[in-house]
Amino acid sequence: MVRVPARVLKQRAAELGDAPDAQLAADLVETMRASPACVGLAAPQIGISRRAIAVDVSAHRKVTTSHGLVVLFDPVLVQAHGRELGREGCMSVPDLTANVGRARSVVVRGVTPEGAERVIATEGFEARAFQHEIDHLDGLLILDRVASLATDVFRRKVYE
Amino acid sequence: MEGNANAAVWVVGADRPGIVAGVTRALFDLGCNLLDAASTILRGHFAMMLMVEAPPDCDIERMRASLNGAARDLGISVTVSPVTDEGRAGVPPTHMVSVYGADKPGIVFRVTDLLSTAGANITDLTSRVIGSSEEPVYALMLEVDLPAGTEEKLAELAAELDVDISVHPIESDLL
Repeated sequence: MVRVPARVLKQRAAELGDAPDAQLAADLVETMRASPACVGLAAPQIGISRRAIAVDVSAHRKVTTSHGLVVLFDPVLVQAHGRELGREGCMSVPDLTANVGRARSVVVRGVTPEGAERVIATEGFEARAFQHEIDHLDGLLILDRVASLATDVFRRKVYE
Repeated sequence: MEGNANAAVWVVGADRPGIVAGVTRALFDLGCNLLDAASTILRGHFAMMLMVEAPPDCDIERMRASLNGAARDLGISVTVSPVTDEGRAGVPPTHMVSVYGADKPGIVFRVTDLLSTAGANITDLTSRVIGSSEEPVYALMLEVDLPAGTEEKLAELAAELDVDISVHPIESDLL
């Protein structure tokens, strides 16, 4: 597991395109499974700057919608609706949690390890997990997305 | 978290550009290493607290002398307190408590007195007087390690003080 300040976490990861990588998919899932609390992982977090993610929120207490284990190459957020604040922690950013605003529902399109196009429409916690992992592919960590409700509420006074 | 702080440096003064740079330059020149820090601006006054790891040849008096020089130049006040490891065991907050109501003396005292009696530990606090000068509203937000059963007591206090108190669990998810 790669942690800050590793540069690989801050780079835009490269597309896999027509070269799906079954080994990368397997490594992602294996690393994710090795940490019981982990519900998602992106390739840069295991030191590989490629656009690949694994998500499995099915065992999480907050889940309302789950597609089970999903591994996607070159995932793209094609639709995003609504906004919701949630406190996120990240295996690559020890000791800190941050309030992050995310779309409530999303449509994600990507390619499975078998090379088939897959489109996933989801909401709630699973949608948050996809957005967090796709952020990793663009070099964005939770600290790049901080939005504290408390400070937002109070800051308005300053700028009035 | 690496390193143990052996001094806390407190800074307060009328806000202006250069306070952080001025204070941290003095600390850097002393060979100090900065650990955790936080700052805020309250009513135009910049306030900052820095936890500092000082080198063996830099005692508290030397830090005070150097920082007082910087403080004079910046027109601020700086206080240096020795610290030990005693404060290191941190309890993560479990709840966010928001209190809003017509401004009057005693809101913070009554709420925190209740929390303290219940054994709750406050880990973060922000408050502001907002709204118009004719109708000032006091807004208080607390992060608290809240023992079970405290929410009912807070609801009773809200009715007594005629303020709104809402309690939300803090849940962070590892992604």
